[in-house]
Amino acid sequence: MNKNDQKMLRPRKSVSYAKWGYIFILPFFLVYIVFTLTPQFLTIYNSFFENYRSGLKQIGPNFVGLDNYKALFTADPSGTVRILKYAANTLILWIAGAIPQFVIAMLLAIFFTSYRLNIKGQGFFKTVIYMPNLIMAAAFSMLFYTLFSRVGPIQGLLESWGVIDQSFDFFSVRITVRGMIALMNFLMWFGNTTIVLMAGIMGIDQAMFESATIDGANSVQVFFRVTLPLLMPIFVYCLITAMIGGIQMFDVPQVLTNGKGVPNEYTRTLVMYLNNYLTTKNYGMGGAISVILFIITGILGGFVYKMLSAQYKDPERQHRQRKGNVI
Amino acid sequence: MKKVFAILLAALMIIGLAGCSVPSKETTAVPKAEQGKVFNIYAWNEEFKGFFEKYYKVPEGVTVNWIINPSDNGVYQQKLDEALLNQASKPADEKIDMFLAEADYIGKYVDSEYTMDITSFGFKNASTMYEYTIKAASDSKGVCKGVSFQCCPAAVIYRKSIAKDVLGTDVPAEVQAKIDSWEKFDAVAAEAKAKGYYMTASFAETFRAFSNNCTSPWVDANGNLQFDPQITAWMDQTEKYIQNGYTLTAGVWDAEKTNEMFKTGKTMCFFGPAWYYNFCMTNAQDPENGCVGDWCLVKGPQAYFWGGTWLLAATGSDNTAMLKDIFETFTVNTDVLNKMVKDDSQYVNNTDVVKAFAEDPNYGNTSILDGQNDIAIFYELAKDIKWENHTNYDQLLNEGLQNKLQEFYNGSVDEETAMLNFYNYIGEVYPEIVIPAN
Amino acid sequence: MKKGMSDNTRGLIKLTIMRVIVYAILIFLCILCLFFFYLMVVNASRSNAQLATGFSLVPQENFFKNLVNAWNDSSINIPRGMLNSLIIALSTAVLTTYFSALTAYGVHAYDFKGKKFVFTFIIAVMMIPSQVSALGFIQMMNKFRLTNSYIPLIVPGIAAPVVFFYMKQYMESVLPLDVIDAARVDGSGEFRTFNTIVLPMCKPAIAVQMIFSFVSSWNNYFIPALLLDKAEMKTVPIMIAQLRSADYSKFDMGKVYMFILLAILPVLITYIFLSKSIIKGVTAGSVKG
Repeated sequence: MNKNDQKMLRPRKSVSYAKWGYIFILPFFLVYIVFTLTPQFLTIYNSFFENYRSGLKQIGPNFVGLDNYKALFTADPSGTVRILKYAANTLILWIAGAIPQFVIAMLLAIFFTSYRLNIKGQGFFKTVIYMPNLIMAAAFSMLFYTLFSRVGPIQGLLESWGVIDQSFDFFSVRITVRGMIALMNFLMWFGNTTIVLMAGIMGIDQAMFESATIDGANSVQVFFRVTLPLLMPIFVYCLITAMIGGIQMFDVPQVLTNGKGVPNEYTRTLVMYLNNYLTTKNYGMGGAISVILFIITGILGGFVYKMLSAQYKDPERQHRQRKGNVI
Repeated sequence: MKKVFAILLAALMIIGLAGCSVPSKETTAVPKAEQGKVFNIYAWNEEFKGFFEKYYKVPEGVTVNWIINPSDNGVYQQKLDEALLNQASKPADEKIDMFLAEADYIGKYVDSEYTMDITSFGFKNASTMYEYTIKAASDSKGVCKGVSFQCCPAAVIYRKSIAKDVLGTDVPAEVQAKIDSWEKFDAVAAEAKAKGYYMTASFAETFRAFSNNCTSPWVDANGNLQFDPQITAWMDQTEKYIQNGYTLTAGVWDAEKTNEMFKTGKTMCFFGPAWYYNFCMTNAQDPENGCVGDWCLVKGPQAYFWGGTWLLAATGSDNTAMLKDIFETFTVNTDVLNKMVKDDSQYVNNTDVVKAFAEDPNYGNTSILDGQNDIAIFYELAKDIKWENHTNYDQLLNEGLQNKLQEFYNGSVDEETAMLNFYNYIGEVYPEIVIPAN
Repeated sequence: MKKGMSDNTRGLIKLTIMRVIVYAILIFLCILCLFFFYLMVVNASRSNAQLATGFSLVPQENFFKNLVNAWNDSSINIPRGMLNSLIIALSTAVLTTYFSALTAYGVHAYDFKGKKFVFTFIIAVMMIPSQVSALGFIQMMNKFRLTNSYIPLIVPGIAAPVVFFYMKQYMESVLPLDVIDAARVDGSGEFRTFNTIVLPMCKPAIAVQMIFSFVSSWNNYFIPALLLDKAEMKTVPIMIAQLRSADYSKFDMGKVYMFILLAILPVLITYIFLSKSIIKGVTAGSVKG
């Protein structure tokens, strides 16, 4: 008797067990409502009020409508809208790390999965390149600070080589500070992306590659005509989730620049901006920034949702076809 | 994997059990006595903690909790404010008993209901305490809320060997004669530069010498930000010093600056009060690379004071006897105060004690200076300290101005951008301050 | 024949060159990954005076002296921080995985009204980061007097949409509903079935998610820094960040490197022992991006 027959003969009495479904999901939803959903509404609510601490005095809450949002998007005397500058910083810092992250990860994924190259010691390489992903970002950036500070070893080394002179300061030059942050983000994430993309390539039917090779395609053509199109969904998924991670960028620039975003706030990210209002207890402005972040992540999350729900359109079929390998 | 899982689970259970047992112990084991068993102190660094542990004998059965948060970016004030605002609803053992405050923001706490009248638990200000320390700790009605354990007249601390090379003399009186005004000081800076030295090691080294002589507060009665001529004078001087290479772009607390205090350092002058020795000059006291004895102290171009740590009594403290005891130990207990001067090179807040040292021909500071009687100099300087023109905003405004201008001095931005960044910073931390339109 | 052979040789040479390049790239990346950590270990073995003299790639003899100094430091109480972090990270890891599995099982195994909505909802909110609700969260915790407490750092772990999603997918691939039916026939209660049959079947997924939850909680800085200020409650990342802001110039640099080393050591050791299964876990579909 196979499984399907069994199902037909003795249908599950799903209805009678429904209450257990509710019981099992109850803790999750209770906690979600208390610790995430309510705070989320509270955050949005706060954004319409003037509500801050001046020393030991509480100012507000006074309803101010959209004034906090207006303040956020008002230019300063030099014509800079600060929040747009921080958004641009966040984007630039993310892209500077993400481009090498995805290019290298794609290359490595192809190397590792290539039968022709037949790379030995894959376990070792994967172990090493994934390692930085688990390192505490605060500690990693503290390490970078101590190594690259004016009195740190890298400065001394480069001085003795004559690459830089004594007055050079890694933390006063836009490109070096951004470069350090991008390098850290790259190191922390390229191993992870490599492994996920590898899984994606290995999930592609081998017959596709074989038939392409028989048709006379060289390896570059195989990559662009076969691998890349079939890998696209996973690649895009990785990209969007990485982008959502990028928007949250905080620990690395915060600790590296001691919250100052030097030089000239060029490394100050949106979440660092938010954090500043959270620590000074300016809930009105902090709320407005949170809502903006919520909207951006909501849009990006929408793409992820679309991709995942497309995958779930037909859960039963999906279930039978699944080989245990998912994005 | 099974093993790991089991170990993790077991560890969690042990911790869970431990976690459960701890609070129950705390809540049941407290006998309701007149005085509390837990004494909570908020502070922003370890300086006073060191003296407290060295000189104050904690009564039997009392636990002292130190809650230390760095003052950088105003973190200390934020955490302290939060705790004080919640003070009333906290159980007795979690209430703050005492907290430390600095000259830059003491007014905010003194003029509030969160600090209490020190006479309410029987402490009387002694006539030996410096007047300005009492004024700083008193609210607008003249009610005193705490004491200072130090008095902070500040001076110029110079490297003798470098002074000898630059000025041809290292005798304090002669050195002082050559730097007793800013014009002369600037001229000496040029000479030092010519000989390959720096005049100061931080762009902000002279900040306090100027800012402490301001004749107007940072923020006027209507909440407008204003720049005192002393502040602009500092900015002008610093810009010149940076351009001419008389100083470094390091901040006052940066390692790059303190490395200049090693034997190998090329910097002639440092600006600081007595606490500066132990707090900033540890490199000078390094057994291998330091240069103890190569230092002397003079008044410099302009008398000023810097910092100071006040001990304030928090409203709601259930350890008032201990508060009184601590205050007495660090203001009138001459045994302790004498030791603090002799062993720790402190300038204590007791005119009798410091006067005795100032007049003692046998006293000299050898822990860092060349045996010069620094107390005698501080004693003269301390007579002129006045408490005026302070606002509750001073810490972050002083810090913010220095941080933002540092970027101008190290070449990352132009001056206009640096000032815009400063105004923007004020807007974020103190939305109520009005920035001048120009 | 001859031509074919030379083609073959040429191909072989090409392949060998390719291999050399690929290995060179891989080795370069590995060195890049390890270099800064190697420098950290070396510097943690040097004294403050040695560090002031400049750069070195050779470890020196002060490692244990720095270790003792760092471990016994009175202002940065690293053993206490590690204990706090351990309590929070372990509890979070256990709660997150258990309740995510429970929720996933609830959705996977039972038919109930609104099931589709529940699933859709969780996927929809999955990508929203905790930062965007942090403000309300901090405000609430202040109101409930839950600052300086483990609770707000542990309990929210019960609702972890990403882990839920992973567990749900895993159950779909390994957990046929017949097994549950069979257990019911044997008279097993629903909770017992979950605890004694379902959980063991999902052990690989649970182990992987436990490690990930542990690591991300151990490394978490944003929310804890806003909630904890008492010395005895501070976690390791807060202490490390504090190094950066407090009287940096006063520190013995050898000790600072040792602090950083101690902060990442527990995760590093875990990783060395479990790297295989961690990488397998990522391969099998971590959605941590």
